[in-house]
Amino acid sequence: MEPISLQGVASYLPDSVVDNDFFRLASGIDRHPMFRGTHLRHHIDHDESATSMAVKAIQRLAEKLDLDVARDVDVLITNVTLADLPFVGCGAAITGELKLNPRYIYDLQNGGCVSFIFMLELAQLILQSTQARSAILCNLQTAAGRVFSLEDNRKLPQSCVPGDGCGVAYVTREGNNPVLTTVTRTHGNFANDMEVKAPDGRHWWQPGATAFNIDFDETKIASIVARGNRLVPEALYQALKQAGLGSQDVDFLVTNQPNRIFLRNWRESVQLREEQHIQTLAEHGNLFGAAIPICLERGIDDGRIHPASNLLLGGFSHAGDYSAAAIVRWNG
Amino acid sequence: MSTPISLDTIPDLCRIENVQKEDMQERCMDMTHSIYPHDKIFGDYCTIQEYIHCPPQTTFEYLAETSNLLEWTYSLRDMTYDEERNLYEFTDAVGGKTKCYCRTVAHRDAMTVDYHCAWDQGDELWMIYLMRVIPAEPVLNKPGSVVLWTNCHHPYYEKNPYPQQAPADRKIWVGDMWPMFYAGHWIEMQNLKKILEHRHASLR
Repeated sequence: MEPISLQGVASYLPDSVVDNDFFRLASGIDRHPMFRGTHLRHHIDHDESATSMAVKAIQRLAEKLDLDVARDVDVLITNVTLADLPFVGCGAAITGELKLNPRYIYDLQNGGCVSFIFMLELAQLILQSTQARSAILCNLQTAAGRVFSLEDNRKLPQSCVPGDGCGVAYVTREGNNPVLTTVTRTHGNFANDMEVKAPDGRHWWQPGATAFNIDFDETKIASIVARGNRLVPEALYQALKQAGLGSQDVDFLVTNQPNRIFLRNWRESVQLREEQHIQTLAEHGNLFGAAIPICLERGIDDGRIHPASNLLLGGFSHAGDYSAAAIVRWNG
Repeated sequence: MSTPISLDTIPDLCRIENVQKEDMQERCMDMTHSIYPHDKIFGDYCTIQEYIHCPPQTTFEYLAETSNLLEWTYSLRDMTYDEERNLYEFTDAVGGKTKCYCRTVAHRDAMTVDYHCAWDQGDELWMIYLMRVIPAEPVLNKPGSVVLWTNCHHPYYEKNPYPQQAPADRKIWVGDMWPMFYAGHWIEMQNLKKILEHRHASLR
């Protein structure tokens, strides 16, 4: 079967940009390792929603690719870090706002920081097995403004790392930029090592006076670092193997961007130069799942990603529960 | 014993008093890569280790007996012993007719066995194979031995100091193989493990 094609990407970043002083002043800590990787990040505003971010990003995508969204979107797949409502994803709301007419809508909760690749794989399954011909993939990261900017959390230096944004992609059953292969892995034994904690020990849905935060089990930090160092190169090399390519055939690497060390290590693992790894950690922070489409757009728009480029995508999520990789042959 | 005051005058020590825990964590993360070029790990030192299911005393005694190098090494053969010089002479068959000289220094209490060796001449034994046998019980909570084996990259590996002593037709030098020491020694370690485990199993 012919591979599906990644036709284009677009993004929306909230207007509100905060610098490190926002966290420095709140924490009273002047220098901290967490302040060194990220300098700026966008925060979702109070009057903004994940849905409104997605609407703006999809409108930009439609403009770029000259799409009639009412007609040209057969499938909508979304992943949101912290959705607008606790019970539902954003798929239906986006569809309503933009007057889309998709035959299939899926709001995914798995995949986290590599959900883009899980969505790509799902899109492939749908486009290759149904009448649907086109899909929009929509990654929304909203936790920076909604969780990490809260008064209680601002005091913690690690709160400066996340940043918000929305990345969207348009994929079609046929096209110029084939998705040569995808690799997705689930590591169930690492599923509970990321915690949502409140200082008073309550569950996140229980009422209370303090903000909850997202954190990792301190006793497992070294192990989580080791997982990231292992799982991502494994997935990258598996994708290369499936595509019959070597790391020397890769033109650009695009990953999620949790911190500068992982970025360095993943790039080193496939022996690429720094400029071949497209990332925006310093100005956008950790964009969670939105990082891959947002960085793809950056690379395409600034002309770095040229026609006939092999793009290697990859990453892992949370404390190592998911890892994934994909290869796209970009012909523009 | 108290910490000597002189520590203050030594620059760049990394101790919890002057490096905060989060900075230490960052340093450690920074040093931890996904992959390492071979040179980074085996550039100046080549250390390997293996578990052997054989009592540590037996492992030590086997290593301390120089003639066993005829069994577990890949290429040391045809041993003779010069009693006056306390020196063993082998042929190292990877070097064709190359002579390899060896003096074994073993310490029973520490369970260390050091082979002081050299190609071509026995006066300056600069190729030193440092072996240590550790009882596996306290470190791995199981019976048997752990064997540590280190070689250091002596400058002579880079340049043969006694070229005139080499067999006339020999082209290679032992140091040419340094980048393969990890692989070669690991294979020999497997020989050691197989021999000892086979004999130890048949004794049980």
